[in-house]
Amino acid sequence: MTPQNILLIPKIERGIVIDHIPAGLGIRVMALIGRWPELEDAVVTLGLNYKSTRMGRKDMIKLQAGPLPPRLLQMLALVCAGVTIKRIDRFEVVEKVVVQVPELFDNLARCINPNCITNAEPHVATRFRRIESGSRYFKCAHCERVCSLDELAGHLKA
Amino acid sequence: MKKDLISIDDLGLEQILDYLDLAARVEALPNAEKAGLLPGKILATLFFEPSTRTRLSFESAMCRLGGRVIGFSESANSSTAKGESFSDTIRTVEQYADVIAVRHPKEGTARLAAEIAGIPILNAGDGANQHPTQTLLDLYTLRKFFGRVDGLKIALVGDLKYSRTIHSLCRALLAFDGVALTLVSPESLRLPGYLMKAAAGTTATFRESESLADAIRDSDVVYMTRIQKERFPDLVEYEKVKDCYRLDAEMLEGAPAHLKVLHPLPRVNEISPDVDATPHAGYFEQARNGVIMRQALILDLLEKRSNT
Repeated sequence: MTPQNILLIPKIERGIVIDHIPAGLGIRVMALIGRWPELEDAVVTLGLNYKSTRMGRKDMIKLQAGPLPPRLLQMLALVCAGVTIKRIDRFEVVEKVVVQVPELFDNLARCINPNCITNAEPHVATRFRRIESGSRYFKCAHCERVCSLDELAGHLKA
Repeated sequence: MKKDLISIDDLGLEQILDYLDLAARVEALPNAEKAGLLPGKILATLFFEPSTRTRLSFESAMCRLGGRVIGFSESANSSTAKGESFSDTIRTVEQYADVIAVRHPKEGTARLAAEIAGIPILNAGDGANQHPTQTLLDLYTLRKFFGRVDGLKIALVGDLKYSRTIHSLCRALLAFDGVALTLVSPESLRLPGYLMKAAAGTTATFRESESLADAIRDSDVVYMTRIQKERFPDLVEYEKVKDCYRLDAEMLEGAPAHLKVLHPLPRVNEISPDVDATPHAGYFEQARNGVIMRQALILDLLEKRSNT
């Protein structure tokens, strides 16, 4: 980081940094964080459109809070896989994990097929399985419709 | 663990061939012996959308095995009309029966039923998705007529876009060796791209044509489909294409002698009645095979196949 950047988004003593968010998705990730009541009191800093040698531009979020809820991490995998989650303690990075696209999304998104039974009976848990390793396409376990990662990200469950 | 039949994609080639062999054994059994295979067993046919043919085929299969049948033939006759969820219907009916055949206009219903129920589920058609018993009976019919499925030249004609029969059959045929498919459809009803892509890496070949006459000359099988009015979001589009392919006896005059015409039925105008009297008509025998294949499947799911 350049000194100028440090001024823009200060270091935190303890908490979580979500780094390498594709530019433009930072606000979406903030909205996701806002779904969790346990993160309601966290001090959050949002940085948008930073220069990044790897990504060109990126967004970043710092939370002065405990570990992220597992379901939030799963949603991040759906919305912006590839982000880095850093755990900070005494201003140092003590753990770093890159969020990967999983093989299965369990009840995170609604099916994009309006005629899928899971949309008629919303209490039914949806499942989307990756069609093959490395693919960005997933198949609904019920109606067998193949959906892209981006399509599923646009159909997150409440 | 209980068995279900939900999607042809769940079956490998080995399992498909096993079902074809089982159906052949069932067909060879004397009727009197068949009638004693499932005494006291009950099949529930839950048809949330009308389909006389598939339902009667399932019911005939069960009755001829000595079992009994309960069910309904449209959702207006079920508690769905009172607002009951599909899940609750399944949970209730599983208390009444040993096996359930379910047809529903929404995709994914059979899979959901299989997740909910502790008894076997047979998918009798879920929306535009799957119709695996039709696929298996089609494969059985092909093997009966030709002694094999490998290497057959098959023309698929009509609605290749919306027909779940075609989609399931295509996927199954890709598992066999060297099947050559000719796709005959109007521009607006072409086979979805993902099915064409699925052929990559298999020994199957695809060829597209708009001419039924050309396809007849160079095929072992002409598989006709009805243009399904109920699947069209826009009826203007339906009117444009509804009678685009009509097969009659005259068109079959130059056909190879062994050529068979198949159709999942019901037909409307796409096969003229004068084809029925030609040696090419295979669709009524195909319907008969439906009962045999469904008998095989019911026996397998109820773990009674050892009696064959």
